[in-house]
Amino acid sequence: MAIVHMKDIVKRYSSHIVLDNIDLDIAYGEILGLLGPNGAGKTTLIHALAGIHGFDSGAIEVFGKEQKANLLEIKRQIGLVTQEITLFTDLTAKENLAFFGGVYGLKGEKLKKRIDETLEFVGLSEHARKLPAKFSGGMKRRLNIACALVHRPKFLIMDEPTVGIDPQSRNHILETIRQLNQQGTTILYTTHYIEEIQNLASRVVIMDQGHIIANGTIDELVKKIQYEEKIKLEVAAPTDDLLERLRKLDGVKQVLKNEKEIHIISQVESGNLDRVLSIAREFGGIHSISAEKPTLEDVFLTLTGKRLRDGGEEE
Amino acid sequence: MTIFTFVFKRFFRKKSNIVFLFVLPIGSVFIPTAAWPPIPLGFHYYSLLLLLLAARLGGITLEDRTNKTLLRLSASPISHFQYLFQNLLAYTVILTVVNLVFVFLGVIVHGENLPSPILLFIIYTVFSMTALGFSLAWYSLFRHMETAFSILGGVIVLMGMLGGVMWPVEAMPEYLQQAVMLLPTYWAAESTLIVAYGTQAKDLGTPLVVMILFCIAFLLLGSRRRLT
Repeated sequence: MAIVHMKDIVKRYSSHIVLDNIDLDIAYGEILGLLGPNGAGKTTLIHALAGIHGFDSGAIEVFGKEQKANLLEIKRQIGLVTQEITLFTDLTAKENLAFFGGVYGLKGEKLKKRIDETLEFVGLSEHARKLPAKFSGGMKRRLNIACALVHRPKFLIMDEPTVGIDPQSRNHILETIRQLNQQGTTILYTTHYIEEIQNLASRVVIMDQGHIIANGTIDELVKKIQYEEKIKLEVAAPTDDLLERLRKLDGVKQVLKNEKEIHIISQVESGNLDRVLSIAREFGGIHSISAEKPTLEDVFLTLTGKRLRDGGEEE
Repeated sequence: MTIFTFVFKRFFRKKSNIVFLFVLPIGSVFIPTAAWPPIPLGFHYYSLLLLLLAARLGGITLEDRTNKTLLRLSASPISHFQYLFQNLLAYTVILTVVNLVFVFLGVIVHGENLPSPILLFIIYTVFSMTALGFSLAWYSLFRHMETAFSILGGVIVLMGMLGGVMWPVEAMPEYLQQAVMLLPTYWAAESTLIVAYGTQAKDLGTPLVVMILFCIAFLLLGSRRRLT
């Protein structure tokens, strides 16, 4: 069942189409990774979904309700983690949470309890009374996330929440996101760090120039672009006999030797890994064997023609 | 009323704001009466001072937009109008206290030379709302604090000159005398003169209503722009 259903969403800025007939469903309980080069339309999509900006045509349903007619009710159950650190620098961590909890209607003891729980959840309890100016980059990011969690949203939109922080803080944030998801929060996650998507997302959507150009699990996307299988075999002595035996295997297109390394390129789903291994065993002296699969980065590069962290104009 | 509550917290956290709020009004209490108008000058110029104080107060909303905090707020169940309205209410409370201190000191310093202190307090409080509405609408038009504030300074002085605060409106060409009625400062000056010349209190009705209408119009104008 879908928590979000977007149908034929079109958004223009004067004559420029930023979202071009976007159809997208997000299932309850999933972490959907949204990838795209700069200017792909990700932020516009997120803003339309969060009800920040309108759209020119199409329809969005969130929690099974039409967005335009139920905007306030929907907004109460959505959390937005912004790409920028959007905190009040003149308020302490606790006061920031009290503010954002308050605008979502929390008050009194319930608000206090939520603030304490949220600070604990993001590991900032000991810094509750400090101003964000005294925080490290990672702590600011965690507080930035906490402000979107204090009202316990069912659906959390995270727009590049780990930009510019150290690996330790990143791991802490990623673990927090996993825990949130395990607790039942549906998450839409955008990032420029492809490894984060690989670690977190149950499904990936790739956008480019206002279109969704790919949508599926990582395995499904990898299969879409996988035209051949590559096996790398490293042996003590790559003899001509061994190479000849490998060339004769079914589906093998090419066998290349590079000193002690042998690269065997086969047709997709040839299932040659086991066969290569058994032949290599006959000859002995195996150092290593591995099947090289395309990565999500390869998928992205193939589909968009750009690397994810290419420079360019921000959206 | 979360925004309303937090406006106070945020404003008073900067001690310089408190100094700014009280130094100029207290200083202007001591300006003596001149040939025109028949009221201590500081009390006639006070509408310009209120515009300046409102400019300082309302500036926080532009800071919130430039650092994108309002982007997060725009994803919450709060409209831009609610945001501006709660800011306006909170700042009105702050300026009302300043007005009270100003008039109270005026009574101490000028005694009976200060006509109808209660009416003056009412005028200043209503005009505070107009000035704040103007300030909030003004800042919603800009992206950069420096640009907004520097242009605003000039606009306030111009509004003061044309609106009859610096000199009588009658000193200006006739066509201007009609046009300046579109300035909120005209109505502030007009109402102060009504009090200064000892005209009946009921004559204040029109200027006060017009100032409130200005405030509403400014709020609506400011809220047309999105929070982001």
